[in-house]
Amino acid sequence: MKSKNLSILTNGIIKENPVLRLVLGTCPTLAVTTAAVNGIGMGVAATIVLVCSNLAISLLRNFIPDKVRIPAFITIIAGFVSVVQMLVKAFAPSIDKSLGIFLPLIVVNCIILARAEMFASKNAVLPSILDGLGMGIGFTATLTLMGAIRELLGAGTIFGLTVTAEFIDPMIIFLLPPGGFFVFGILVALSNSLAKRQGKPVVEHLGCANCPARSACKNAVADGEIPQECEKVGGGDE
Amino acid sequence: MKKLLNKIKPILDKVVAFYKKTNDVATPTLVLAVICIVVTLALSSTNLLTAGKIEALTIETKNKAMSKLIEADEYHELPAKTSYGDVTYNAAIKDGDTIGCIFVTEANGYGGTISVMTAVDMDCNIIAVEILAASDETPGLGQNVTKSDWYAQFSGLKGDITVIKGGSANHDNNEINAVTGATISSKAVTTAVNQALDYAQEVIVKEDES
Amino acid sequence: MNSTTSIVSILLAGILTNNMVLSKFLGICPFLGVSKKVNTALSMSIAVTLVMVIATAVTWPIYTYLLYPNFTYLQTVVFILVIAAIVQLIEVFLKKFIKPIYNALGIYLPLITTNCAVLGITMLNITDGLNFGLSLVNALAAGLGFMLAMILFAGVRSKLDTADIPEFLKGLPITLIAAALVALSFLGFAGIGG
Repeated sequence: MKSKNLSILTNGIIKENPVLRLVLGTCPTLAVTTAAVNGIGMGVAATIVLVCSNLAISLLRNFIPDKVRIPAFITIIAGFVSVVQMLVKAFAPSIDKSLGIFLPLIVVNCIILARAEMFASKNAVLPSILDGLGMGIGFTATLTLMGAIRELLGAGTIFGLTVTAEFIDPMIIFLLPPGGFFVFGILVALSNSLAKRQGKPVVEHLGCANCPARSACKNAVADGEIPQECEKVGGGDE
Repeated sequence: MKKLLNKIKPILDKVVAFYKKTNDVATPTLVLAVICIVVTLALSSTNLLTAGKIEALTIETKNKAMSKLIEADEYHELPAKTSYGDVTYNAAIKDGDTIGCIFVTEANGYGGTISVMTAVDMDCNIIAVEILAASDETPGLGQNVTKSDWYAQFSGLKGDITVIKGGSANHDNNEINAVTGATISSKAVTTAVNQALDYAQEVIVKEDES
Repeated sequence: MNSTTSIVSILLAGILTNNMVLSKFLGICPFLGVSKKVNTALSMSIAVTLVMVIATAVTWPIYTYLLYPNFTYLQTVVFILVIAAIVQLIEVFLKKFIKPIYNALGIYLPLITTNCAVLGITMLNITDGLNFGLSLVNALAAGLGFMLAMILFAGVRSKLDTADIPEFLKGLPITLIAAALVALSFLGFAGIGG
């Protein structure tokens, strides 16, 4: 039992890393990682919301009717996000300033809705908390890594400390949007080749299988309106 | 007792039947409503706890920024009518005298709005400026306008400031050097400062008269 | 600034300089997920634009007249629920009354509820302090910008199918690197609004 809980926790950190393996939460991943410290701020805020919403949804999983599942989840998540937003504004205003609109946008971070839908609504409280924590740590670690890479290449610093800025002119492009896409692409490529070495499937394109709204796609598949991207899901999954 | 129960039973049955019939709609609506109410209550209580702190923090940040520009005992927020429209400014008061005015102005930079705080003395000379927000400017280029050794150039200037490229600005001619590679951002800051000076000209003249 | 110039500058900013996807990183999921073919990309972006404008038209008055100034802390919760409800209503409306449009756009609508571009634009309109008319223009501009990015990117991706891609980059990585190049070209527009 203990080892099972441990594996739920570590699952999100490496095996099912939400950013690199499940490819969820790409918007904040690209947007806030211009500095390592922003990655940590975003990651911690999202982790708090993830753990709390997983906890609440797991507790309520037998009371929420299936029909209003998604709106109920969204309301609960939005509630926690607003609480975190107010706390950050009151106690860590510099983080609020650097995350800007991406702080309230944690509401629509697919990682959180996806874990609510796929894990917390089907599992007991403790595993749900661990799942949220693991996914949150995986998210935070990846964002911090990406922030550190972009900050090092783009500004010559890491966590604000000068590293290479003195002797190498920083490549500003890494702080700009193209640099974000590029670094993310290389990180996914690295994670893919690691996965391949272990005989696991590589990430082909954005995973429909992990999309919280895929049940909607399935209805569409039933209607005969199959977008190419969702064909696979409609066919085999579940 | 039994009689009463018999009387109630059909009514109860009806209620149960009605409930079963509407169950499909009623329960989900009810659950959703309860969740919404609980969330709203939770948010209002968090708001009660944090609102005071957030407001105090906002005022503190603003006062800190102002005291960095002019040291004064207190700052009075005042409205003023100018030929450019209504503006709000802060008068810095020391020992009962107004020693300067502080204006917050904005201009369009490279990526978005740049917001600048300008402090002027009673002769309309710039005491100092501070960049409040330039987060939409390019990091490493336009955002360099937020570095204090750049905007320190504004201190002591008076009236219509112009931006010079290439680093040959003459302080006595009201010129400042543009940030390398970020002329548009530099010009935006200057536009905002010039606007503050325009306001100051009118506001301070009025204050002298009164 | 008079209103005509501000409308033009908002349109320019939304479509080119401050493009939703390529410079603000909002709506990346559909940008990467639904951009394999030009026609699906077009349908998706029409649906997004439609929802953005309608959502702005509803959330702006709600914020300005109901939430401001005492209940601003409810903004996130109210906005996301309103957007979810609007998406549902649009879906039902289209299904009932305008079947052809429903057939073309219907499947994308449920995906839009959790699209951060929609929630993002409704919130940005409030933080930027735009009035009602300019908010609508801004939402339209953001939608058109999204559309431009989607269609350009779908075009680029269709070329990728026949390209010889290094083994290391096959799959999602090359898509992201292609996105980096499209974003790079949009950097050239920056500064137009200044």
